[in-house]
Amino acid sequence: MRRYVSLFAQYFIQYAKVRLSYRGDFLLSVLTTVLATACGMAVVFLIFQHVPRIAGWSFTQILFLYGFSLLPLSLFNTISINLYYFSDSYIIMGKFDQVLLRPVNPLFQVLSEKFRLEALGDMALGLAIVLSCARALGLRLGVWEWLFIALATVCGCALYTSVFLMLTSVSFWMEDRVGVVPPIYNMLAFGRYPLDIYGQFIRFLLSWVVPFGFASFYPTAHLLGKDAYRAYAYALPLVTAFFVLAALAVWSRGVRNYTSTGS
Amino acid sequence: MPGHVEVQELVKHFRTFERREGLWGALQNLVVREYKTVAAVDRISFEIRPGEMVGYIGPNGAGKSTTIKMLTGILVPTAGRVRSNGFEPFRERSRYARTIGAVFGQRTQLWWDIAVVESFRLLKKIYAVSDADYAARMREFNEVLEIERYLHTPVRKLSLGERMRCDMAAALLHNPPLLFLDEPTIGLDIVAKENIRAFLKRVNREYGTTVLLTTHDLSDIEELCPRLMIIDHGRLLFDGGLAELKRQLWRDTTVKFDLKDREQAQRFEQLEIPGIRREKLGDLTYLLSFGRDDRPTADVIRQVVNAVEVLDIAIEEQSIEEVVKRIYLGGMSPEAPPCNP
Repeated sequence: MRRYVSLFAQYFIQYAKVRLSYRGDFLLSVLTTVLATACGMAVVFLIFQHVPRIAGWSFTQILFLYGFSLLPLSLFNTISINLYYFSDSYIIMGKFDQVLLRPVNPLFQVLSEKFRLEALGDMALGLAIVLSCARALGLRLGVWEWLFIALATVCGCALYTSVFLMLTSVSFWMEDRVGVVPPIYNMLAFGRYPLDIYGQFIRFLLSWVVPFGFASFYPTAHLLGKDAYRAYAYALPLVTAFFVLAALAVWSRGVRNYTSTGS
Repeated sequence: MPGHVEVQELVKHFRTFERREGLWGALQNLVVREYKTVAAVDRISFEIRPGEMVGYIGPNGAGKSTTIKMLTGILVPTAGRVRSNGFEPFRERSRYARTIGAVFGQRTQLWWDIAVVESFRLLKKIYAVSDADYAARMREFNEVLEIERYLHTPVRKLSLGERMRCDMAAALLHNPPLLFLDEPTIGLDIVAKENIRAFLKRVNREYGTTVLLTTHDLSDIEELCPRLMIIDHGRLLFDGGLAELKRQLWRDTTVKFDLKDREQAQRFEQLEIPGIRREKLGDLTYLLSFGRDDRPTADVIRQVVNAVEVLDIAIEEQSIEEVVKRIYLGGMSPEAPPCNP
C-alpha cells in the first residue's frame, strides 16, 4: 500500500512536470474547463428566473447540489482520462503490453499514467460554491460534515470510475469503439439536478443501474437535511463497494482476454 | 529456478472474424460474423537452461511474438504449461515481472514524453532497485551503451538506435536473470547492432543472464546464440545448434575450381566422376556439386587434381540465410529429421 502511494505520487509529479512545461496550453485548458462548467451553471440561473422552487428545492439548494456534484466529478475527470482513451492507446496501439510487463497492478498503471490536471479547477470551483451556498442556507459545516463530504467525494469518484471501467473493459472483447460510452458520459450531467425532478424510470436508472445519483444527489440531500434520503446516503459506501468489486471483476476477466496486437 | 524456462505443449488460439469487403460487406459484418480459430502457437515444447542464449526465428506470422508474449505473461495460453523462473507467468504475473526483462523492438517500454532519466527513475521505483545498485548499473550501462549523452532527452526525440540502447538498459535495470528480446535489432544500423550485441554478450557473460531473442537478422544468431529454434505455422521445426542445422540441411557440397588454361578446361569437361553435377561459371571456372553424404569432399578434389592442373580450389559454404530460406519456403524436407527429440 505504501509503495503504491509513493508510486502514485511519482507518476503524478512526473506527469504534472510534463504538462506544466507547456504553460500556455495548460492555463488555457483550465480556463476552458471552468468556463464550460460555468455555462452549465448558467442554465440553473436561467430556470430560476421563472420559478421560485423546483420539486421542493430552492435556487440556493440546487446551486449547492451543483457545486457538490463537481467534487467527485472533478476528481473522477482528473484520474480517469486514460479510461476514455484506453481502447485507442492501450489496446489498438498495443501499449497495454508494457503495462503487463511491469510488476505493478495494471489498472493502477493505466489510471496513473495520465491525468487531466485542469479538471482540478472544477474542484476549486465546486468547493467555492459549496461554501458560499452553505453560508447562504445557514448550513453549519463542522468536522463531521466535512468528513462526510470527503467520504462522499471519494465514493462518488469511485462510483463514476467503476461504471466507466466496466464500459472500458468491453474493449478487451471488442476492438470497435464502444458507442455507449458518450451517452453514459452525458448522463453524468443528470446527477447535478435533484432526482425528484425526473420520472420513475430515470430515477431508478440513476440509482441502481448507472448509480450517478449516489455520487451527488443522495449525499447532498442528506446534508440539506432531507430525511427521506438519509438511508440512501448511509448506503453510499455499500453501493460503492458493490460497483467497485463488480467493475474489478469485469476488468480482470478482460485482462485475461487481452489478445495484444500483431507483432 | 532463476533463468530456467520450461514449456510444454504450449498452445495459443486466436479467434478472428473474416471481414467482408465493401459497404455491403460491412453491413453484413454488422449482422453476421463468421469466426474462425487460428492456432498461432501449436503444441510447442522446449526447455532453456540458465545462462543459455537462444535464438528464436521464423517468418512473419510464424508465432514468435505470440510465444514470447505468453512467456512474459502478457497473453494467457489456450493450453499447455509454462514454468519460467519458477513462476507460471500469467497467473503470478506481478511477482514474475520483477524477475524478467523484456524488450520489444517495435515498441518502447519507456514513457514517450519524459526524459530518459526520468523513465529510469520511475522504473527504479517500480522495481524497487536500491540507490547503490542503480548507480552501479547506470555506470555499467554507460560503458557499453553510452547512454549518458541522451539521458536528458525525451524518448520521442531519440533516434531508433539511441532509443533501443535506452530500452535495453531499462529492461536490465533490475538485473533480471531472464531476458526476452523481440526483434531487438530491427531497423538498426550496423554500428548500433554491434553495440547491442556486445552489450548482450557482456550481460550474459557477467551475470549468466538467460536470453531468448527473436530476430530476422540471422547474423544476430550467428554472433550471439549457440542454439536456435525455428518456428513456422505455430510449430517448432528445429531446435539445436547452428552447426547442426547446417549439417541437417546442407546436403550438397559445392567446390569451385579455377583451372590453368583452356586445355585443362577441356580435359576437365571430359572428366567422368559419377553422381556429380558440373556447372560452368566462367571460361576457366567450374562448380562441382555432389551429395555431401555420398562421398568425402577430399576424394572429389583428389580425383580432379590428379587429372587436371588446378590453380585454385574453394569449398563453398552455404550461408545460413539460404538454409533458413529453404526451411521457410518448403518446410524441412522429409530426409532431414524435423526436430531434435
